Amino acid sequence: MFISFVTIKGGKNVEKRETMWEAYLRRGFSRRTFLKGCVALTSLMGLSTDMLDKVVEAAETKPLPVVIWMHGHECTGCDESFIRSASPLASDLVLTNIALEYDHLLSAACGEPFEQHLEETVKKYYGQYILAVEGAVSTTNNGTYCMSGGKPFVDNLQHVAKGAAAIIAYGSCAAYGGIQAAKPNPTGSAGISHYVGTKQVINVPGCPPIPEVMTGVVMHVALFGKLPTLDSDGRPRQFYGNRIHDTCYRRPFFDAGMFADHFDDAGAKAGWCLYKLGCRGPETYNSCGNLRWWQGMSYPIQSGAPCIGCANANFWDSGACFSERLPKYGPLPDVDIIGAGLAAASVVGVAAHGALSVVQRHERDKAEAKENEGKEQVAGK
Amino acid sequence: MKAVQRKMFYLFSPFLRIFHWIMVDAIIVMFVTGILIAKPPEINALEPAQSMLLVNIIRQIHFLAAFGFCASFVFRVYGFIINKGDRLFPRFWEGHFYSETVDVALHYMFLRKAHKSYLRNPLARMSYFGLYVLVLIEVLTGFAMYNMSEPNAIGGLMFGWVNTVLGGEMMTHIVHHFTAWAIVLFASGHLYMVTRAEFMEGESEVSSMFSGSKILAHDPLDAKELE
Repeated sequence: MFISFVTIKGGKNVEKRETMWEAYLRRGFSRRTFLKGCVALTSLMGLSTDMLDKVVEAAETKPLPVVIWMHGHECTGCDESFIRSASPLASDLVLTNIALEYDHLLSAACGEPFEQHLEETVKKYYGQYILAVEGAVSTTNNGTYCMSGGKPFVDNLQHVAKGAAAIIAYGSCAAYGGIQAAKPNPTGSAGISHYVGTKQVINVPGCPPIPEVMTGVVMHVALFGKLPTLDSDGRPRQFYGNRIHDTCYRRPFFDAGMFADHFDDAGAKAGWCLYKLGCRGPETYNSCGNLRWWQGMSYPIQSGAPCIGCANANFWDSGACFSERLPKYGPLPDVDIIGAGLAAASVVGVAAHGALSVVQRHERDKAEAKENEGKEQVAGK
Repeated sequence: MKAVQRKMFYLFSPFLRIFHWIMVDAIIVMFVTGILIAKPPEINALEPAQSMLLVNIIRQIHFLAAFGFCASFVFRVYGFIINKGDRLFPRFWEGHFYSETVDVALHYMFLRKAHKSYLRNPLARMSYFGLYVLVLIEVLTGFAMYNMSEPNAIGGLMFGWVNTVLGGEMMTHIVHHFTAWAIVLFASGHLYMVTRAEFMEGESEVSSMFSGSKILAHDPLDAKELE
């Protein structure tokens, strides 16, 4: 899917938009710094270094993409994650790599002028801007459980999404509804994809997503003007192509059968596999295992906490407690104990059935013998 | 004692029998290894830290048994094609199937003294259909988990939808595990019923799975179907 970011040089909208290179120049950065930035971006987007030329070319010629960042039914944790991106620095991204026109959390402006600016931006760059959405839509009672600027968020979203060139759903809320969509879901929370028309949404799930993944995805769209390669769930393949389990540095402990059985045992202390403590690594697709968090410092499993699968759809209702592999039902034990119990009961059951069958057969034989006897006597006479 | 006249009916091709016994072995292997994978036993860490339980090898055995089992289904289908005695599914579309099933069920509930004689016990056939459904669930969920280590490869594209349908890959794990227990319950019932039929009713349910033939004292109702 190609999206054209047209540089408007004349006509009605006379505004010339900066390129990334021009933004660097304006801030007094050297060419060397610019190229270093491009190298960082290339590797961050999961591209091979062969692509560096194209990245530099795009950064020199393409005008900075206009980004509108909307917040819905959520906790702004994704933004908190985003501003901790280290390579590129979130500040660099916001100030020199994109033209961020609207963001509830990062904007100094507020109130009516701010909302008016959104309207102007939508009009001016209709069909060109990137829409980044954080947070689910609330749908119950016409969406009144999530209001922004006096209007239901779902209405705002539909309005802005119409003119978007690309839509990015940041976080598990925007992608799948988020933890507020957990049963019974009183606010009717849902992912945004059904509320933006037929446009393809780039899902960047995670609660929150990894900062560098967030910046990587928006830069990919910004520089190349097209969506990154997506999987069947709309997630960028370069970040969500593998299970955490398959990239986890603790995987050798799993293969060797070395598990932490409790949170306080020797295995947990030694850093063995957390599978038995309910780790969702085997079911979760994310880059935690290879990119890790905070400049590669750590990620939940490395810190001794089993993965809860926060990048999965419905991870909040995944069937089992986060620290268990198998679900339990109230006071009942897990299915292995129930199954073994049922198997034992079935053995008792068939034994009883067998005993009754013997009795039944015995009586049948007796009745048959009597009948035959009767017949023989008749024949004898 | 009166001499009983018995007749032999050739029913099961060697291909069906091979498939049956591969299935038995594979299910036993897969159940044991599956439980070990889902719940690896505690190793109570000692120094030097090591485990006798190599989950990787256990998983490979599980996968090997799974592939062997799926491949052996070829035997079953081939037998079905060349031999009239092999049947894949009960004949749901024939009305008498239902009345016969009720006949057998009433007997097993001790509400009837005996059931009529059949080459293919309709109630058993029904339970095998149930087993096929369970096995199908195991195969689909199993491959859905197995192939998703490379979601964009052909296997991931063929089976990835199962995870979506079930509402997440964790659910796939849980469904796979629960269904395994259902198969165990089927097996305990099956084992009892065939033993009972063999030794109490003279229906040669066990021996026919070795020899392929049933030796019956009565003329079975469905004997014509073999012709």
